[in-house]
Amino acid sequence: MPPHFKQKRLRFAAYLTTLIFFMSVALITSLMIGSFALSPNEILEILFHPDKNPVAWSIVVNYRVPRMLLASITGFVLGVSGGVIQTLTRNPLADPYITGMSSGAALGAAVAFVIPFLPIYAIPFFAFMGGVSTLLLCMLLAKKANAGPIGFILAGIAVGTFSSALLMIILALVSEKAHGILNWIYGSFSTSTWTEIKVALPVVVPATLYLLAKARDLNLLLLGEEHASQLGVRAKTLWRLTLVASSLAVATCVSFSGIIGFIGLMAPHMVRLLVSSDNRFVLPLAGLTGALLMLLSDDLVRSPMNPIAEIPVGAVTSMMGVPFFVFLLLRRGSRFGM
Amino acid sequence: MVCSIVVSGVTVRFESSVVLDGVIFSVNRGEVLGVLGPNGSGKTTLLRSIARAINPTSGEILVFGRPAWDYTEEEYSKVVSAMLPNWPGGFSMKTYEIVLMGCRNRSRNFWWEEEEELEVAKEALQLLGALDLFERDFDKLSSGEQRKVLIAKSLAQRTNIILLDEPVAYLDIKHKLEVMNVLRTLAELGKTVVVSLHELELASGYCDKLLVLNRGKIVAAGEPRSVISEDLLREVYGVEAEVKWDGDHNYPLIIPKTKKIPKEEIVCLR
Repeated sequence: MPPHFKQKRLRFAAYLTTLIFFMSVALITSLMIGSFALSPNEILEILFHPDKNPVAWSIVVNYRVPRMLLASITGFVLGVSGGVIQTLTRNPLADPYITGMSSGAALGAAVAFVIPFLPIYAIPFFAFMGGVSTLLLCMLLAKKANAGPIGFILAGIAVGTFSSALLMIILALVSEKAHGILNWIYGSFSTSTWTEIKVALPVVVPATLYLLAKARDLNLLLLGEEHASQLGVRAKTLWRLTLVASSLAVATCVSFSGIIGFIGLMAPHMVRLLVSSDNRFVLPLAGLTGALLMLLSDDLVRSPMNPIAEIPVGAVTSMMGVPFFVFLLLRRGSRFGM
Repeated sequence: MVCSIVVSGVTVRFESSVVLDGVIFSVNRGEVLGVLGPNGSGKTTLLRSIARAINPTSGEILVFGRPAWDYTEEEYSKVVSAMLPNWPGGFSMKTYEIVLMGCRNRSRNFWWEEEEELEVAKEALQLLGALDLFERDFDKLSSGEQRKVLIAKSLAQRTNIILLDEPVAYLDIKHKLEVMNVLRTLAELGKTVVVSLHELELASGYCDKLLVLNRGKIVAAGEPRSVISEDLLREVYGVEAEVKWDGDHNYPLIIPKTKKIPKEEIVCLR
């Protein structure tokens, strides 16, 4: 075992330990805070003795736990998909938000939302169609423009803005359902319930497991289709399947949480910066980092310092993400290495 | 006997220009074939066609008697490896991570590299005298060092056919010889090597057969001594030179007739 391997594993272990620590803090906090503050002891008591305080039990189990889970799942999916999309487009500045994929997915979900009598299980499918088509459109435009990573970002902005505009129009036309759609524009977990988790998990779990299993081959795909094929990877098939898997996972989450930007950009780069740019480290750790960032952001919007109205969680992630994006842009421009 | 590679009538067109024009040749097992030709003569396109990076416009390439495009990616990566220098940079990878990518074709483990693969990577770098680069950042290496790492990556694929596009470019004389010596021994072990070169003496000294391309057509092929000639230098490269063969080695002595550029021709660059 060469020393660098050990060093990588050491950094991996250190990073993971830190993540788990902060993650537990964020998880417990998310159960505690809200309009009805609870101490950790009270939470334990509620969970183990539901009969003593049925109102508090209902708040924790029916609202806070699903909200906590949905935020974690969404963060995990955005982190993993961010790493995958950066690999597939070979662009370090890409993520589900910047490529317009999230906006497209939200648009698809909004369309599903206004079609009457559509079951909730159909929403992820519409969101997926919206997300995939915007991403492909963005890639097509970037290829035609032939302006490198920056061209890609510009194409993403164009496509994303257009989808958002369509979203606004739908919003204006169906104002009686406006509140639900408004959530998609800014991103929020305030309406999370167990139903959404039940719909999301069967899509998200297999999709992310597939992406994680393909991490080694995704490393080769980073070299481009030509080199990957020569090294024995079915590059075209892998490219398509991983794109579909990550779009499905993102679209499902977006259709419930709304457009949440920059998690998919920040999480993979934090791992590359601190551990390694090997996707076998980047993807799982970026998932956990994304979950942590999402939980922290969601905790922040629910904090008692913010009593009047809940800030959309997407606003908080953008507040963190935009400076990070500028940092990446200035530091390396279009390079993957950190 | 089945030839390792049979290229029959391969033509490659990019839009209106013909880059390869009806190229026909074959390579036997255990042979080192040197592909020569001036810049833009189609050497790289030929190697890329055999490596399946380009699908020829017409013609057929047989690899061990089977059309190249009939193989799956997995199968082909176990038969043909290619060192093509258009390697994308900017990924902050370690040298050994790149060489280990060559081992992917035979890897049984879908997630981690096995201990055995690490040994393969080490031996490949060791052979090329580049073991000290093992843990260096690939992007920070010199062009010559990067070349050696990419060759090591191809060797790590452990294929019977090895294609190398200008493997010795950027290398100093010691490392040039080292690379050619490795290729020679691999050929003696039964591998087939196709290598494009600009160094005529080196190609002549190390290759069993040479093939000269000019404007996409084969203009000469055969044993080094029959190929490298004053006529060839004049007609293909446009160079007036004297070619001398002596001793029992295949290294020609190429003495260019120096053509002086009169000072009056340099007007603006003064």
